[in-house]
Amino acid sequence: MSMIYLATFNWGWFLASGVLGLAMGWIAVVQRGQGWSAVMLRKVAVLIAALVLVSLFHLIPGRVGYWLDLGLAMLAVYVAGCAVGSWLRALVVSRPASADKA
Amino acid sequence: MSRLAGWARKWWPGLIPLGFLWIGAIWTGTVPLETDLAARSTGALKDTVLDKTRISVSGRDVSLSAEAFSEEGRRSATSQVEAVTGVRLVNDETSLILEAKPFVWSVERDVVRVTLSGHAPLPAIKTKLLDAARTSLKGTEISDQMTMARGAPPRFDNAALLLIDQVSRLKDGKITLSDTGVSLTGMAREIGSREAILAALKNLPEGYSVKENAIKAPPYIFQANKDPVANTVTLAGYVPDNAVHAAIVAAVGRKFFSEKLVDNLKASVGAPQGFQNAAVAALGALSRVSTGSLVISDREVKLSGDALYAVAADQIRSGIGGELPQGWAAKADVSVKPVASAVDPTVCQQLFFELLGKAKIRFDSGRASIDKDSMGLLDKLIETALRCPTANIEVAGHTDSDGDNTANMALSEKRAQAVAEYLIKAGLPTDRLRAVGYGSSQPVAANDTDEGKAKNRRIDFVVK
Repeated sequence: MSMIYLATFNWGWFLASGVLGLAMGWIAVVQRGQGWSAVMLRKVAVLIAALVLVSLFHLIPGRVGYWLDLGLAMLAVYVAGCAVGSWLRALVVSRPASADKA
Repeated sequence: MSRLAGWARKWWPGLIPLGFLWIGAIWTGTVPLETDLAARSTGALKDTVLDKTRISVSGRDVSLSAEAFSEEGRRSATSQVEAVTGVRLVNDETSLILEAKPFVWSVERDVVRVTLSGHAPLPAIKTKLLDAARTSLKGTEISDQMTMARGAPPRFDNAALLLIDQVSRLKDGKITLSDTGVSLTGMAREIGSREAILAALKNLPEGYSVKENAIKAPPYIFQANKDPVANTVTLAGYVPDNAVHAAIVAAVGRKFFSEKLVDNLKASVGAPQGFQNAAVAALGALSRVSTGSLVISDREVKLSGDALYAVAADQIRSGIGGELPQGWAAKADVSVKPVASAVDPTVCQQLFFELLGKAKIRFDSGRASIDKDSMGLLDKLIETALRCPTANIEVAGHTDSDGDNTANMALSEKRAQAVAEYLIKAGLPTDRLRAVGYGSSQPVAANDTDEGKAKNRRIDFVVK
């Protein structure tokens, strides 16, 4: 419920986050380099999970609490955008590759 | 899955622009979001009765501070705000308004304004009371000093509305409602207002009672003026009702034989006990003075005027107190009119004739005791007799032809005797008077009609 309210109120920013995620996901597939280590990724995941818990249990009051909710929501949209972007790029990249194999 | 994890490791650079987006969203969105939530929370509380409501929004958290009128109202207020879409938390800073014990409310009227003060249980009732005061007291300034409190007795508003209506009947004063007890002080606007208030208070809602009623009424005034120049008796002031009014007018007709009645009396409740008897008795005294005025104020009778001769003045002074009902007081300020110039016996006879032409000396039926209503006339006759000191006067009694001749003769003589004795008591020398009874032997009209008979029953004064 409250997510819907946040989305309707800040839809522009959510859209921008999604588009940013798509773009980042698109790039990530072909980007060279290591990126974060698995350990780092896990640490970040734990951190985010902790923040989600803080948000769910309304542990931070007032404006900061709202900002945290907003940040997490935008991050979720971004990550979803990344996932979709990467998946689409992977399709595009793998199709000629599998054609080559055939 | 591992492929996704592989990609995900490379997603982090986007977090930096995302951070900027986040800051942008915070920067532009926070205040509008708070404003929106505040507006919708206020809207949600529109139908909830609260006092001193203050809503402040920080992020998506709403702080609600208000004074509720009941525990239930307080709970419902917070749940209403919690139900607003987008609200994350409600900080409940509501409190119950104080409970007043005793629950005191009052309405006070002074020269300038009417003040409502004390406690009111709900804002709606407060508004209702103020509106009622404005309607009932059009043109008077209404001042509101009521504060909110819990603990009003049931049907408080009905009781208070009834009391507000009574304020229009007060000149000044205060009506206080303490729990279910009503106390009233002050001065009624006019005669009868106090009684009207008392009657209205009988309609107080069940359980309410009058603890103290110290409303004073303006004095109940009755006035009569006798003016010998205009030859009028003027009545003014109040009488309790039409029956008493008629009785007083009839008494004036009997007691004042030649004066014209000017009747300015108004009917009003609030007369003291025994008013009619007192007024009639006092009018009897007034009928005996030449110029005079009578003021009855509540239970006090004040008579001032000029008696026609010295004995009459004494009789009026000593008599008036005794004729009044219990609890009444009289003050007679009676002086004696200067003696009129002496005239010779023929003029005297002429004056007697004129006086007795206007009215007759009346007796109690079948008896020889003089009716009190004839005092005014007798005084006039005595005054005239005193003006002709040389004349001998025959007091002649006559009857109509009804009944036994001997009895008529005896009665006419007794009546003439009674009048002569009255004259002697008034100071006329015995040797100038002679009482004679003629029975029905000297009729002045035919005895075949009631009217004629009434004319024949008479006392004549004959100068010899």
